[in-house]
Amino acid sequence: MLEVTNLSKRFGGLVAVANVDLSVRQGEIRGIIGPNGSGKSTLFNLISSVYKPEPGSRIAFDGEDITGRPPHDIARRGIARTFQLLRIFTQMSVLENLLIGHHSHVRYGVGAAVVGAARVWAEERRLKQEMMDLLGFVGLADYAEMAAGELSIGQRRLLALGRAMAMRPKLLMLDEPAAGLSPVNVDKLLNTVMALQKRFGLTLVIIEHILKVVMESCDTVTVLDHGEKIAEGPPAAIKDDHRVIEAYLGKEMADAEVRAFLKAS
Amino acid sequence: MNGPGTNGAAERAPEGWRDLSRFIPWLLGFCVLLVLPWLAVNPYQNYLLNVILINVILAVGLNIVKGFAGQVTVGHIALAAIGAYTSAILSVKFGLPFWLALPAATLVTGLAGALVGIPAFRLEGAYLALATLGLAESVRIFISATDYVGASIGFSDIPPPMLAGKPLGSHIAYYYVVMPVALVGIYLSFCILRSDIGRAFKALREDSLAAAAAGINVRKYKLLAFVISAFYAGCAGSLTAHMSPGFLNPNSYTITEMVTLLLMVVLGGIGHIWGGVIGAVLVTIINDLTVDFYQYRLAIFGMIIVLTVLYMPRGIGGVIDRHFATKRFIALRKAKASVNA
Ligand SMILES: Nc1ncnc2c1ncn2[C@@H]1O[C@H](COP(=O)(O)OP(=O)(O)OP(=O)(O)O)[C@@H](O)[C@H]1O
Ligand SMILES: [Mg+2]
Repeated sequence: MLEVTNLSKRFGGLVAVANVDLSVRQGEIRGIIGPNGSGKSTLFNLISSVYKPEPGSRIAFDGEDITGRPPHDIARRGIARTFQLLRIFTQMSVLENLLIGHHSHVRYGVGAAVVGAARVWAEERRLKQEMMDLLGFVGLADYAEMAAGELSIGQRRLLALGRAMAMRPKLLMLDEPAAGLSPVNVDKLLNTVMALQKRFGLTLVIIEHILKVVMESCDTVTVLDHGEKIAEGPPAAIKDDHRVIEAYLGKEMADAEVRAFLKAS
Repeated sequence: MNGPGTNGAAERAPEGWRDLSRFIPWLLGFCVLLVLPWLAVNPYQNYLLNVILINVILAVGLNIVKGFAGQVTVGHIALAAIGAYTSAILSVKFGLPFWLALPAATLVTGLAGALVGIPAFRLEGAYLALATLGLAESVRIFISATDYVGASIGFSDIPPPMLAGKPLGSHIAYYYVVMPVALVGIYLSFCILRSDIGRAFKALREDSLAAAAAGINVRKYKLLAFVISAFYAGCAGSLTAHMSPGFLNPNSYTITEMVTLLLMVVLGGIGHIWGGVIGAVLVTIINDLTVDFYQYRLAIFGMIIVLTVLYMPRGIGGVIDRHFATKRFIALRKAKASVNA
């Protein structure tokens, strides 16, 4: 479904992503891990076309080359993503945030909206109902009219997830969806994500620092370090890969004790 | 019979009513506005009323691009000039009646608005303000230097609209041309801004990157905001041109007028439709009361803008919204308390 070949990105002298190949199957749950600054978010920014990749990179989705297409076009094709810093619209209501996500599915044009045609109002009612259902699903229905800026951090993460889901994506990319949450909330959010994944048959790519999340939920894990892909495979195999442990802890610390600790976690 | 068809009709009926009832407040407003000019004690007040309404159209348009879509433009006043001069040229030089010159000038200004909007693809904030200021000043300077449109002396003898062979030259007659246009303008801005388009504008004001990632074509909506607001400016410009005495002067389109226009939107409430209307009414009246101090206006209005942004960032509209929100909150708490008692 998603085929990334030879993807690279440089910022000045820094190579943030280096010749990465990535292939995600339909319906798969893919984990992306790697130390801070290893290029995970940049990878998402390249796929969603926030950044332009270096020449020679290729990104294909559903068999079509989407390299260099504008971001809104990528979104329309069914790729939704959340941002590490969320970037929810804090001045708008929670419901409006979801409606923005649903923008590509609005079934009236500019002309009808300008003259306030009756079907615009009917469609608006339908949109709001649909988005209220989705808000119920992520557990924010009671906050629909509240400004998104007044939500707690956990609720904001749910809202970011809801806004991405409102896009009715085929592929959903989540950038550290559970960062900064208490363990209880991590579980809550994860359950919501997995319920959504099952219900809509989503393909998921998750960047996550919380190893428990990755180990329990993902089919395959890709490990980045200094922008390079250093390992890929099922979670159990990744856990024992010496390069992964080195990348995370530095060579000198990757001794037997640490390995044992990682296994236990 | 209880088939799905009858069921559907039963469900649709109240919706139809809801759609119709939307118009009731607008009709009431229209009726009030119909009698308003008869309260004026002299023709000057009728003239002022028309100026207020024209400024309402300008401010509502500026609020769309600046308040809702968040594009810092200082070119709006030049668009009004383009609308005014286009309308004047069409009627004086080409003999077009007002009723055709107005829509034509509106359309031409819409196209000019697209040109003003193009720098917004790449520029933001102060840079965009500078670019649009540059465009605006070149329009004014071009007019001042072009004899065909009267240069700096001015463009005179622009005819008033004709209705059934009679000119609508008096201010009170002209009011019945301006007022419906202004009301329709406000109504349409509600339609636009309460729809998905308005939401897209607000999204790109707050975070254009996140908006793009949500599927919003940022360029398309920026351009749309500029073009829609230019329609308003062009329409307002044309209405200015044909108002008695039918005279235009490039000095009515300087940076001072632009700051005045900005003040209407900022004081009234950025991104608040009624706020913009209230701002236009207030500022036009203040403007009129202080004509003798024109040379200080730029400084005074500029200062009021800064103070408003600092101490009342959401303007009068924001204050009104908060007032109602507080009232609702108190009512809600009372209701809860009485349930508990
Ligand atoms: N816009 C940018 N300009 C310059 N450098 C950048 C930019 N974005 C990212 N980088 C650099 O690219 C590298 C990879 O960053 P990236 O955000 O992709 O890492 P990450 O794996 O997501 O890290 P984290 O776990 O901290 O989120 C870092 O060294 C970062 O400083
Ligand atoms: Mg990151």
